[in-house]
Amino acid sequence: MMASLSDVENSITTSTLPYSYAPLPNGEQPAGNDRPVHSSRKTALFLVSVFLAVASLVALFAGNGPVLPKNLNTSAVPSTAGMPEKVVPLSRGVEKGVSEKSFHPLLGADNSFPWSNNMLDWQRTAFHFQPKKNWMNDPNGPVFYNGWYHLFYQYHPDAPVWGKIVWGHAVSKDLINWRHLPIAMETDEWYDEQGVWTGSATILPNGELVVLYTGSTNESVQVQNLAYPADPSDPLLIKWVKYPGNPVLVPPPGIDNKDFRDPTTAWKTPEGKWRITIGSKINKTGISLVYDTEDFKTFELLDGLLHAVPGTGMWECVDFYPISKQGENGLDTSVDGPGVKHVVKASMDDDRNDYYAIGTYDAYKGKWTPDNPTLDVGIGLRYDYGIYYASKTFYDQNKQRRVLWSWIKETDTEASDIKKGWASLMGVPRTIVLDKKTQSNIIQWPVEEINLLRTNLTVFKNVVVESGSLVPLNLPSASQLDIVAEFEVDKKTVERLNVADIAYDCAKNGGAAQRGALGPFGFSVLAHEGLAEHTPVYFYVAKGVDGNLQTFFCADQSRSSNANDVDKSIYGSIVPVLKGEKLAMRILVDHSIVESFAQEGRTCITSRVYPTKAINNNAQLFLFNNATATKVTASVNVWQMNSAHV
Amino acid sequence: MKSSPLTILFLVLLFQENLFSATADRLLIENTCKGTPSYNLCLSVLLADPHSQNADLTGLAIIAVYAVKNNGYQTLQQIEALKKFHPELMAALTQCGEVYKGVVDVDVPLSINALNLGNPKFAEDGMADTAVESQACERSFQDHAQTSPMTNANKAMEDVANVARAIIRMLL
Repeated sequence: MMASLSDVENSITTSTLPYSYAPLPNGEQPAGNDRPVHSSRKTALFLVSVFLAVASLVALFAGNGPVLPKNLNTSAVPSTAGMPEKVVPLSRGVEKGVSEKSFHPLLGADNSFPWSNNMLDWQRTAFHFQPKKNWMNDPNGPVFYNGWYHLFYQYHPDAPVWGKIVWGHAVSKDLINWRHLPIAMETDEWYDEQGVWTGSATILPNGELVVLYTGSTNESVQVQNLAYPADPSDPLLIKWVKYPGNPVLVPPPGIDNKDFRDPTTAWKTPEGKWRITIGSKINKTGISLVYDTEDFKTFELLDGLLHAVPGTGMWECVDFYPISKQGENGLDTSVDGPGVKHVVKASMDDDRNDYYAIGTYDAYKGKWTPDNPTLDVGIGLRYDYGIYYASKTFYDQNKQRRVLWSWIKETDTEASDIKKGWASLMGVPRTIVLDKKTQSNIIQWPVEEINLLRTNLTVFKNVVVESGSLVPLNLPSASQLDIVAEFEVDKKTVERLNVADIAYDCAKNGGAAQRGALGPFGFSVLAHEGLAEHTPVYFYVAKGVDGNLQTFFCADQSRSSNANDVDKSIYGSIVPVLKGEKLAMRILVDHSIVESFAQEGRTCITSRVYPTKAINNNAQLFLFNNATATKVTASVNVWQMNSAHV
Repeated sequence: MKSSPLTILFLVLLFQENLFSATADRLLIENTCKGTPSYNLCLSVLLADPHSQNADLTGLAIIAVYAVKNNGYQTLQQIEALKKFHPELMAALTQCGEVYKGVVDVDVPLSINALNLGNPKFAEDGMADTAVESQACERSFQDHAQTSPMTNANKAMEDVANVARAIIRMLL
């Protein structure tokens, strides 16, 4: 049969990729009465048909049609915490004592780059969880089981940068001292060949332990897999078995193959089934899918979502757990009832921060609603205003508390990480409870076991720090510290003050060198004696036009190091301070990580600091008050911190 | 042979088919580049690689990362040449050599790996790191109170890295 010209035309102009297949013409001439075809026309038609055939085959094998990028805005590349910024503080005038020059690097300062072994060796921490070498990221499957705390983690065994990830494993009796164990799960199946990614553990009522984790398959599809201990009677749970029927979940229709990861710990439904949630996205709306299961092998996708927030992008490492309205203890993940609120937390892929919101869970519908939609997941409160990502909680039935783990990445260059041979830490684990006083946020506090490392207490009581002055605190050493302090500003000054402060923002207002009437004041940690390098952690009190005070809590890395290849951002946020409360601060200093807590854990900031001079015996601690209008009275307890087995 | 209308039609259809698929891929490339800070640079980088004709967004990101790699190699050669003719700049140039080696040996493989393994977030980190390293090289001259002979090269690297980073962000 001869393909007509119009057919050929139509197949090109009207079809979309891949092209419809036009049959090759029968080359033979039928015998009989058909008009003979001119040979050139025949040749042309044959060539066209062959071309179409080849074209359609090529289109078939070349893949799908064009994939439009999801963001067509011409916005500039957003600056994230990974990019250091040069901060130029504005001066309000030099006051007595601390001149602004002290908060600037000395002109013509020695260039400390490149990094010496001495500088790099110092960066390793004394009491933060980290593998002996190479790269770590998300915490996985934290659980207390058979007398041991287990921590698994995303681990790249081959280099201090991310790569083909396996599950590292360590155990502890006290969340502080750790015994490193062999790798728990490798990339040895097709369904996790490109990575054994993040997952969570669930303890079943009969005492069994199961793990659900994401595998990146040999084709880069994200699937969920089931694994369990090979020998449940082994208290160290060294060997693990992957369920032969894996994967147990694949991306459902409408969900992209690369937007389906990080299954949560399961909790019980009113029907007695198990329920999990998995983060994802649809276009730019971050969502959390809900699955029910009875055996962790077959799952039923619920029709609705646990929750969704437009514009937040992909939700990684979703976490979902109850908190007690009245009690001081944590709650098992399955607990529900009138005395309970629920937290939804997600790690936002777009801005690398962990956000949470408090709300109400409807167990029958499998839906959660935030108490305050303006502070919804991804647009409201963060666990931490510094470097803190991919965090995950577990219920510690040993001490009846909910414990939070988080990945703290490096903010130096990859090249430095290669040089020093390791990258990333876990933050000190924190307990989480509802803030009973505000009822609208959680409180995080380092687990009490960390206090066991305290030694050699030095007390500084009622130190008056005049406006614009710096007080060195005489300590045996200053790289491993636990600092607990209270501050009081001069009440009369505050009342008299009738100059309203301009709007303050930790990140944008010039750091600790930018002086206001009532701040900044606090500590300079990892400080060199000439303040060529130092890291201020401070309060900034701002009096608004309405006379109300707002307190900001910030950590300033802009002068933390002479090196020119480390992040020098300033982090922080408002911290609620209630009537009658003193300003309270706790800082854990552990070499290249500083964890700061305000108002008993209402606002937290984790920083990575890489000084070149303020290391070893040259690291010092100062109190400072850069406020122009008030003196500050500080009472401080400083402990030296022993090293743990990490 | 006789120039028949069919031959002409054949050639037109051939052309049109090419144009059709070329237009579709060109549209992807143009739209992608609109989302980067340097539209023209992005276009030239992507169009310079014939693989961009049939690439999806991940493929375009990989092409951009390879452009960073090539840029890195060229800059390393430039550094070697500068060392010969400007020994007074040796200290800063040595530092620049180290950081650009980092770009080529660490950042680029990390980004390619992350794109291939399906976790673009870490690919973004690699390109962000590249921009940091190029800025560090530029500053190392200032730190030695010298004028940088590499300002254009460092800016060029920063720009390409930021283009790659912007494309990678579209995959998040």
